[in-house]
Amino acid sequence: MPGADPETGTARTVVVTGLGAVSPLGWSLESLWEGLRAGLTAVGPFDRFDHSGHRTHIAAQVDLASEPRRARRRWKARRVSNADRFAVAAARAAVARSAIDPGGCRERTGVYFGSSTGGMFESETYLETLLAAAGGRGRPPAASLLASQQNNGPGDAVARDLGISGPAQTVSAACASGAMAIGDAILAVRRGEVDVAIAGGSDSLCRLTYAGFNALRSVDERPCRPFRRDRAGLSLGEGAAALVLEPLERAMARGARPLVLAAGEAATCDAHHMTSPHPEGRGAAEAIRGALADARLDPLEIDFVNAHGTGTPLNDAAECAALVAVFGDRTTDLPVTSTKSLVGHLLGSAGALEAVATILCLLHGEVHPMPDDGMSDPGIPLRLVLGRPLRLARARHALSTSLAFGGANAALVFTRHGDHDAAR
Amino acid sequence: MTGLGTIGPCGHGREALAAALAVGKPAVAEVDRGAGLHREGGARTAALVGERDLSRFIAPAAARRMSFPSKLAVAAARMALAEAGIGATEAGGPRVGVYLSTTFGSGQFTELLLRQVLLEGAEAAQPFYFSECVANAPAAQLAIAVGARGPNVMLTQRESGPLLAVGRAAQAVREGRVDRALAGAVEEVTPLLHALLDRFGALARPEGARPEMPRPFDRRRDGFLAGEGATILVLEREDAARARGAPALARIGWSGAAFDSTADVSDWGDGHVPLAAALRAGLGEVPGGVAGIGAVVSGASGARRGDRIEARVLRAAWDGAALPPLLVPKAVTGEYGGGILAPGLLALEGARFGPTPGFVEPDPEIDVTPHRGAALRAPARVLLTGLASGGGAAWLVLERTS
Amino acid sequence: MAESPEIRSRIKHLLVDALHLEGLVPLEIADDAPLFGEGLGLDSVDALELVVALEKEFGVRIQSHEVGKEAFASVRTLAAFIDGRLAAAGNPNAGS
Repeated sequence: MPGADPETGTARTVVVTGLGAVSPLGWSLESLWEGLRAGLTAVGPFDRFDHSGHRTHIAAQVDLASEPRRARRRWKARRVSNADRFAVAAARAAVARSAIDPGGCRERTGVYFGSSTGGMFESETYLETLLAAAGGRGRPPAASLLASQQNNGPGDAVARDLGISGPAQTVSAACASGAMAIGDAILAVRRGEVDVAIAGGSDSLCRLTYAGFNALRSVDERPCRPFRRDRAGLSLGEGAAALVLEPLERAMARGARPLVLAAGEAATCDAHHMTSPHPEGRGAAEAIRGALADARLDPLEIDFVNAHGTGTPLNDAAECAALVAVFGDRTTDLPVTSTKSLVGHLLGSAGALEAVATILCLLHGEVHPMPDDGMSDPGIPLRLVLGRPLRLARARHALSTSLAFGGANAALVFTRHGDHDAAR
Repeated sequence: MTGLGTIGPCGHGREALAAALAVGKPAVAEVDRGAGLHREGGARTAALVGERDLSRFIAPAAARRMSFPSKLAVAAARMALAEAGIGATEAGGPRVGVYLSTTFGSGQFTELLLRQVLLEGAEAAQPFYFSECVANAPAAQLAIAVGARGPNVMLTQRESGPLLAVGRAAQAVREGRVDRALAGAVEEVTPLLHALLDRFGALARPEGARPEMPRPFDRRRDGFLAGEGATILVLEREDAARARGAPALARIGWSGAAFDSTADVSDWGDGHVPLAAALRAGLGEVPGGVAGIGAVVSGASGARRGDRIEARVLRAAWDGAALPPLLVPKAVTGEYGGGILAPGLLALEGARFGPTPGFVEPDPEIDVTPHRGAALRAPARVLLTGLASGGGAAWLVLERTS
Repeated sequence: MAESPEIRSRIKHLLVDALHLEGLVPLEIADDAPLFGEGLGLDSVDALELVVALEKEFGVRIQSHEVGKEAFASVRTLAAFIDGRLAAAGNPNAGS
């Protein structure tokens, strides 16, 4: 097993001791869970930028005005992108919840983040002004207006904010970034590279991705309806999520309460096509099997799935094929939900936000629903959780999947603490 | 490491690079400033890939939708696989992973798409550009080209990315997550990126009538030379390589990463103490410790604060002992591109490095003198360094196998 | 209905230019050769790219559900589709 002790073959058990999220459902974890439970989509009219020229006019945006005032004062006006803001807020919330003291273990703390566009939104504004100036309209923008542009911006902002000196890395793997970042963090903690890992993702709405996905005609004019018969595309969203991961022994030793075990992870690639998934979800099935094997679980032991579920016709079909390939006859019985139906597709932070949603479902013993909208697709024999939360008080193990643009796939398995077999 | 492919401003392949490093001549070209995005009096040159026709590596049908970075990555990977003696049918599978790094992703396609959206309107956006706008496009294209179905990782950690990617790839091979990894870095420098870097004050400045020159570790350094290109390595287990009869070009030794949280978002900081502690601890695992390092292949580039913290980290890690020869390939190849991976291998192989171009006089504040061109004994072990603006840091040790 | 050879020719040039089919001579594209799957081997992204190009070139609007269907099977069917659109819009460029 990756990260295992080469001599004994056992690996440190990794637990999650803190969670944080900033989403279209609010700046707190509580508002996220409330919104997820309610099963009402946050996808709707938005005003982050002018979308009048597009075919679609909806998205799920974070309410910037609700950013906690303390945080706003702390930022310098320049050099901070929305994606940075979301990331730091989510990470701070996760660290606060975990009650770790980052200052006490700086060199043994690492940050593993994912982002697909970083500070692109702010860069677009900068570029627009620069292009206008080049065309003789107005003066060039000041360099200081360019917020942290690259994809490592949010992860670096988190590392900087917490003052850590361990490894900091950002993975940019489109829609699988957040899940892959968490996977990397799990391995890092297992192998002892760090004692604490802050893992997550952040992305903000920007014109590039809104225009790009629209150019691919992948965006639905209505809020997305994953796995439903009349699904017509994805909805874009924004936000950030973060987890604090550490070894079980360390958490217990400092009196922290582990929330869940980060039991398993895997990452694969379809190696098939740049924008379409493998039609049978081959790479996704391999990632799911890989994560189950990593968690030493049989497919029968998974209690529910937080699917990638974007609402695009091809992706949902491919993912369904992958789930059927892994879970076989059990598929019709296995509850499946898609967080994207409520907050849209957060791209680089989707995998992280959905990991948080999965963990919240485990902790509360309920699988959050998708809106009960549209008709069931006979070609998608999944047991979707619709309308109301599904009570699963004894749910122990959950799977979260991410299938990315470009073919990367990632899967994560979380297990409720206390249910973990110590002998593993 | 059983194969290494590199395409950069010095040309295609290691020999061309070695020739440029031996002479110590920066591979610069004029950047097209026709779009009017550049600052008056700003930098005018970059280290650009001259020979852009990569059709001998990629069939036109496959290449037609690839952005330049994707083509660079696929071409360099095919070069590396050829050297490793791995044929097209054996190159892929679920046990082959891809670990790349980039700083800016596909600059040209992103700019074209943004221009369409910002200047022509939403409906002018071409789907063709968008699929290559994601930073991981080169990694995805590479996976498709060779059929690599293991983890597909694109790291974006600026100047520390290349070493981080190779370190991660080596870990994955060691831990049995993959049997083989294609690891490395890719970068494209477009006129817009060049203009932006210059506006940020990141690039070396022209000196009156004389064009700008990166001056690593020099007292008058004022910025780096932007460079594009790609370097991809084939990594596999040593016993598997031996069983195949494949060449073992180098062994990947210790790799490490850290972060300087004093760094501002686009600059280097002052936190050399924790960085040096991480480096020193890592080198403690290397036989002979710092004394076992025959040469440092430094990521220094001429950046004012970047070179300063690099020097301080090395001095602190060596803790009073004399530093080994400091090779500074970025003075020739520029910053970004394939990083210092290819020069790192060349140094290990005992290739000749000429005087460090641009270096005239040490900076009294840091008192470090890079390589002046003397012939060196082929080292048993080299340390590659990569400190990033924004705070990231990564190091990698390459060792001889014989 | 016979669509004009001019429309077919413009479409062939469009295919080569918009889809970067380097090495292909427009005139050498057979009217009835399959565009997607086999034949020219175009894929879903090419289809969308083609739509953007067709919309610009001929000034027509193409709905999402029309993309990739029978109209897009070959140059001939595409030309007939475009011709139909232009005629419906009262465009003098339409074939007889």
